[in-house]
Amino acid sequence: MRLRRDKYHFQERGGFTVDATVKRGAEHLPFQRVPDPELCVVFLRQHIGPPNEPLVGPGDRVTEGQKIGDGEGHMCVPVHAPVTGRVSKIDTAYHPGLGAESEAVFIERASEETPPLRLSSFDPDWLEDAEPDALVDAVREAGVVGLGGAGFPAHVKLSFRDKVEYLVINAKESDPNVACDVRLKQERPAELVAGIRAMSRMLEVKGTIFATRAQRGEFPELEERLHKAGVEIAHIRPSYSVGSDKLLVKELLNVEVPCGAYPPDVGAVVHNVFTAYAVARGLFDGEPLTSRGITFISRYTGPRNLWVKVGTPMRHVLEHMGIPPDTVHRLAVASMLMGGAVPHADVPLVKATAAISAFDPQERSPYERERACIRCGYCNMVCPVSIYPVLIMEAEKHGQRGKLRRLHAEDCIDCGLCSYVCPSLIKLTGYLRRAMAEVKQG
Amino acid sequence: MTEGSDPRYISELPPHVHSGITKDNVMLRTFLLMCIPALAALPAMGLSALAHIAIAIGTVLFCHYSLAYTELLSKGTASYKSPCSPLVAGMIVGLSMPIAAPYYATVGVAALTMVVFKWLQGRLCGRKYLNPAAASKVLLLAALSIAAGLGTGMMFYPAHLRLDLWTAVGFDQVVAFYDGRSALSGALSLVLLKDHGWIGGASGLAVLVAGIGAVLWVRLKWRIVLSLLLTVGVLAAVMALVTGGSMVDRLAFHLFTGSVIFMGFFMATEPQSTPLAEGGQYLFGTALGVGTFLLQQLNVLGGSIIVLVALNLVTPLIDTIGRRRPYGHGGV
Repeated sequence: MRLRRDKYHFQERGGFTVDATVKRGAEHLPFQRVPDPELCVVFLRQHIGPPNEPLVGPGDRVTEGQKIGDGEGHMCVPVHAPVTGRVSKIDTAYHPGLGAESEAVFIERASEETPPLRLSSFDPDWLEDAEPDALVDAVREAGVVGLGGAGFPAHVKLSFRDKVEYLVINAKESDPNVACDVRLKQERPAELVAGIRAMSRMLEVKGTIFATRAQRGEFPELEERLHKAGVEIAHIRPSYSVGSDKLLVKELLNVEVPCGAYPPDVGAVVHNVFTAYAVARGLFDGEPLTSRGITFISRYTGPRNLWVKVGTPMRHVLEHMGIPPDTVHRLAVASMLMGGAVPHADVPLVKATAAISAFDPQERSPYERERACIRCGYCNMVCPVSIYPVLIMEAEKHGQRGKLRRLHAEDCIDCGLCSYVCPSLIKLTGYLRRAMAEVKQG
Repeated sequence: MTEGSDPRYISELPPHVHSGITKDNVMLRTFLLMCIPALAALPAMGLSALAHIAIAIGTVLFCHYSLAYTELLSKGTASYKSPCSPLVAGMIVGLSMPIAAPYYATVGVAALTMVVFKWLQGRLCGRKYLNPAAASKVLLLAALSIAAGLGTGMMFYPAHLRLDLWTAVGFDQVVAFYDGRSALSGALSLVLLKDHGWIGGASGLAVLVAGIGAVLWVRLKWRIVLSLLLTVGVLAAVMALVTGGSMVDRLAFHLFTGSVIFMGFFMATEPQSTPLAEGGQYLFGTALGVGTFLLQQLNVLGGSIIVLVALNLVTPLIDTIGRRRPYGHGGV
């Protein structure tokens, strides 16, 4: 409860802090490429929206970069083969984002090296001549989804040309265990800025804001490139909750996104910094989204930044890091505050996976010792959207749907802060998720 | 992919990390902070104050471990083993007793607090609607007053009936009572060191220091305290203006009696029995202030806990109003 002001202690409402010291030092560790696994499991649905149909069948040979799944809906985003090899089967597997079984293409990697397939690309120097719609289509073809964790189709967000004035690049990296964005800013500033320029072109925005919690001068090359590209750099206070797109819009533009609406409805589009990078790779290198950087954290290895193929089973990552999978007790995917834990090591990575945290049996979940609620109100003090988690929990327990509506349970942004500060160690997150679902069901 | 042969992990919802602020942690901090007024009571009230506190804590701990042992025998596990919360309950009971109370009253209030209003109330109602220490004190002392007379009950001193707080002359006589008890002036005595009344209110200043510490360190519901003290302060100032007489004495008397300052910081903010919503907390504190002031004027000094218990009962109602508007609805 002490007020600590450093870059690893994020300040939240009510004077609470989120401890991010677990990733301390990770910004100095370059991406380390994880070798391709023997077997890749590529989910046909890695976006928010309807699932894709497979474009390949068992026994088919596929080349790295080849489109293997697509759908007809506007919200569909194609998926591509991350390795060259043979489709062994199309079956269901546990999807870390959905928390349920989902259809996937299983690809056995071939031993021989084959040049990967590339999409047709654009010349960054001739960006101004490119048609925005053609660029948006190319982003879709490259299979780019929001890489901040949600997996929202990037091309959909990039097609709000008529209603959007600002493009906000979220480089806040506010999750306590994610450091890969910092490395991206350090290692790939040219591609990053190229991606941001392309996004600005697609949206034809009045202004582009690069939101970061880095201090001025921390990334000189990136800052210089951003200045040259006319991108405004906003140095944001260290806060975990401001990582949410709606709250980031409020913080930067002082505009509140109304309930049930999205940032484009108030004239802003928020994209994660990694998405900008994936857009650049897709547009200018013709490389579909088949790999990404993640942060791996375990007690044995400390934090590491890895470059991994989408579809790589987590077992492969663990083994690469020298951790026998059977010594792991819990395996959390994405943010330690928002991501679920997967049931086994063969769960593959998806496009939106930004982090993996492996806990050993000594690192028990603190929530195992749950007590009765003391109604201290810490949860509503810290709540960044000003709802009352404990009242929602009580209403949810009693099945009071009308009360849940009056308490605005649907406004929860699932940040996990209420559970994080709960002195009774109650996982309010579960109650809030169920309450949200109940309200949305009507 | 070797499905079926994998190690099975604990599959659970996020988050996977915690701030480290636990209930025991909060209770221990509260207990440590309450040691400040407890220590301040020693020079003012002597060893008897310490005896009351020790008796209260001892009784509560005895009841706590007895209940835990009984649960262990009957169910195989105790629902709450840590002594931190009972320690706080015991300390509150000790500090909320009048120094003139007999020790058996302290034992009774402490036992009732632990067994009926903490343990039983939690089990029967699912949560504590009534502040355990306040409800126990009201119940036991009211029963004693009825059974053995007002003087024994300590709920309300018959001698207080002679006081007249509605006039400047009558009020000056009350302050003169404090003037004569130490080298300090009446107002200073009320703020710094009193030798009678609630043990927890022996030094208003010590409670203020501990209370501010609790706001910062424990994040207690400060809106209740603020609105309580403001309400009582404003009403006292208005009374001073209307009746004439010393404004300082009025404020010192109405704000720094133990039943206001100690109750305000450490009883009226008890989390389970008070409102969660910010607006509700202001309303609660204001109503508590009005009720407390009126009872003081009616010579029921120390009657604030009656108002507190009454307000506890309507807390679920108060919780339905005064909520912040969420983000997206014009809030934040």
